[in-house]
Amino acid sequence: MEDSTAAPAPRPVPAPRSGDLLRPILGRADAARMAPAELWLAVHLAAPSPPSQQDLERLVVRAQRLTPRVSLDPPDGLLLEVKGSLHLFGGVEGLSREMAGECSRLRMPGTLAVAPTPLAALVLARAGRKAGISGSLLIITDPAQLVGRLSPLPLAMLRWPQDTLDRLARIGVRTIGEALRLPRAGFARRFGTAQLQALDRLVGRASDLRDSFEVRARFRRRRELLYELESHAGLLAVVTPLLAELGEFLEARQCGVLLLECRLQHRNVPPTRCVLRLAAPLADPQQIGALLGEKLNALVLPEPVRACELRSGALVSRLLASGGLWRAGEHGGGVDGRAPDLIERLRVRLGDEAVYGLRVVDDHRAEAACITTSTIQSGLQNDPVRNAVRRVALAFPGGRAPSPRGPARAFAACGEPMEARGSPSWRSASDQDHFAARSEVDSSRLVDRRPLWLLSTPRLLSERDGLPRRRGPLRLLGEAERIETGWWDGREIARDYYAAVDVRGARLWVFREREPPHRWFLHGVFG
Amino acid sequence: MSRDLSRLLEHPAIWRGRSAARTKTLPSGFAALDEGLPGGGWPHAGLIEILPTCFGAGELSLLLPALAAVTRRPEARWCAWVAPPLQPFGPALAARGVALERVLVVNPPKKVVKGKSSLWAFEQALRSGACDIALAWLRSALPRQIRRLHLAAERGDTLGVLFRPREAARDSSPAVLRVAVEPTAPGARVTLLKSRGGARGSIELAWH
Repeated sequence: MEDSTAAPAPRPVPAPRSGDLLRPILGRADAARMAPAELWLAVHLAAPSPPSQQDLERLVVRAQRLTPRVSLDPPDGLLLEVKGSLHLFGGVEGLSREMAGECSRLRMPGTLAVAPTPLAALVLARAGRKAGISGSLLIITDPAQLVGRLSPLPLAMLRWPQDTLDRLARIGVRTIGEALRLPRAGFARRFGTAQLQALDRLVGRASDLRDSFEVRARFRRRRELLYELESHAGLLAVVTPLLAELGEFLEARQCGVLLLECRLQHRNVPPTRCVLRLAAPLADPQQIGALLGEKLNALVLPEPVRACELRSGALVSRLLASGGLWRAGEHGGGVDGRAPDLIERLRVRLGDEAVYGLRVVDDHRAEAACITTSTIQSGLQNDPVRNAVRRVALAFPGGRAPSPRGPARAFAACGEPMEARGSPSWRSASDQDHFAARSEVDSSRLVDRRPLWLLSTPRLLSERDGLPRRRGPLRLLGEAERIETGWWDGREIARDYYAAVDVRGARLWVFREREPPHRWFLHGVFG
Repeated sequence: MSRDLSRLLEHPAIWRGRSAARTKTLPSGFAALDEGLPGGGWPHAGLIEILPTCFGAGELSLLLPALAAVTRRPEARWCAWVAPPLQPFGPALAARGVALERVLVVNPPKKVVKGKSSLWAFEQALRSGACDIALAWLRSALPRQIRRLHLAAERGDTLGVLFRPREAARDSSPAVLRVAVEPTAPGARVTLLKSRGGARGSIELAWH
């Protein structure tokens, strides 16, 4: 029997082909030296006027179905690097047919040409259009044939400045082949190094790196209506095709949208805007349509609608969560996706500020210690306090959110300083254990001392015999808690807080100002 | 009694007279209250009513241990507060153990018709299945609206708690459990006005 204790010999890992994996990682210079094998398809758009940016972008989005490396050559050229997609689409002929199909679907006729370098493909396409030829005559797949096929083409196809072309014509150079035969140093000196580099890129001696076109990360589509729409009923039907396009756009980029604006154009008045803000990125056109429909129904149209436009805000990339086996609440099943749906529905009907979460801020002033936040995470993640402070805050007298890191001079009735409690800037590594022990003791006192309900602004109470009154005399319980803090941002407070019981038995949180005139206020309700 | 019949009678939807209904419940955190409530705690789905004699009688402290336990579970859903009369104070809730990340406050603005939209928001929160517990303070609620809320709560598997003033005890209500709360010196006195087999009389509770 064989001795099987020896480790099996490792299988050799095939080295990656140059140009496959390394091209996106290396810099331009290194990639240029690698000489990858590429095949470029150029589309020279033949419309009488140059196409608009929006049309070009639409064509680019369609072309990205065939290959990820699509670049624009303004004003009327489109380049696709198709070596990797040949097998999938059935060779060069199949790919050209697909691209021609896309162009015709968008009603942008163009001439297609295929060559190993991008500039050669463009030149071929332009020449093909000028000469009125198309089809297989414009396909070069073998780099060895490149120079031969390009030689008879006129130099004007390179779109050099007219005076350079005139000077070349005066010395008898009219075609690309003749230009390639000129001595290089003299050519560069007389006609410019840029033109020499262009010739090098044309035949593949130098690399021609094109940046792939990134479609603008916003969605914007407009639709003119054939008739004027007067009522709400047809609005959603008009917007639905735009939403379908939005869905495809988002699907292609694996993104969701957080903000969507629908603009309705009228004849005389400025356009009506309907803005939909979402708490979590959504990409499903049905869900977006349902929410947008509710908003559109609530709109008041001053005039009949002639056109509608859909614009998206910034796109947010979406991580698709895998579906869970358990429902929420069963056997450890987590929070499912229904929560963002509920929040959206509530926000659409009640307004964005009506739905919020609560966050705690380290501040001894009670009105500053709890703030509302409008971003509600559906997972169990904690916002850092700093971010929470920047968001929606409770109404402050000054209208600003507090900074949580100031020192505070706050003393409990028994005289020990409360500053070590809660402010993180006072903690140090050596005090951790000591602090942990103290915080347990302190939090139990906090439970008795802080009410569950807080008034957004303290209410003035009337006074008799030095005691506050609210529908009858209040009875003060226990000792005072003195809070003096907030001198650094202008909202200084100096108050003595008490727990009090009113005639009906409800426990209230009242305070007395330390400054004259020593008024009493109601700040919160326990229970 | 035959075995099949006794097994049939154990079904949670069947309730016989004086015996307590067997429902899945949430422990309330107070031993005396758990003994008095049918099933040993708050029902885990459906609508219950809490009627305090005045605001701040201890009706929220009554619920807090259950809220804390529910929001701290790893699979916790939301805890929605619909139209609270004042702002809930975060640090106090956090000190009592409520996980603030699971708290959602829905406060319809004054310019919208507040009563109708609070009712709508409460029903949405109950029906969606995205909340474990939803608390609401509605000024007025008709019996048919309460019935509809109860059905929505059962459908969404949510416990809905409706806080109403004590005077509403005179109206009939299709809620499963009606609890009156009065403040006392150590804590509160809880009376079960309506329950399926719960204790009669009052239960004294003390906040510690």
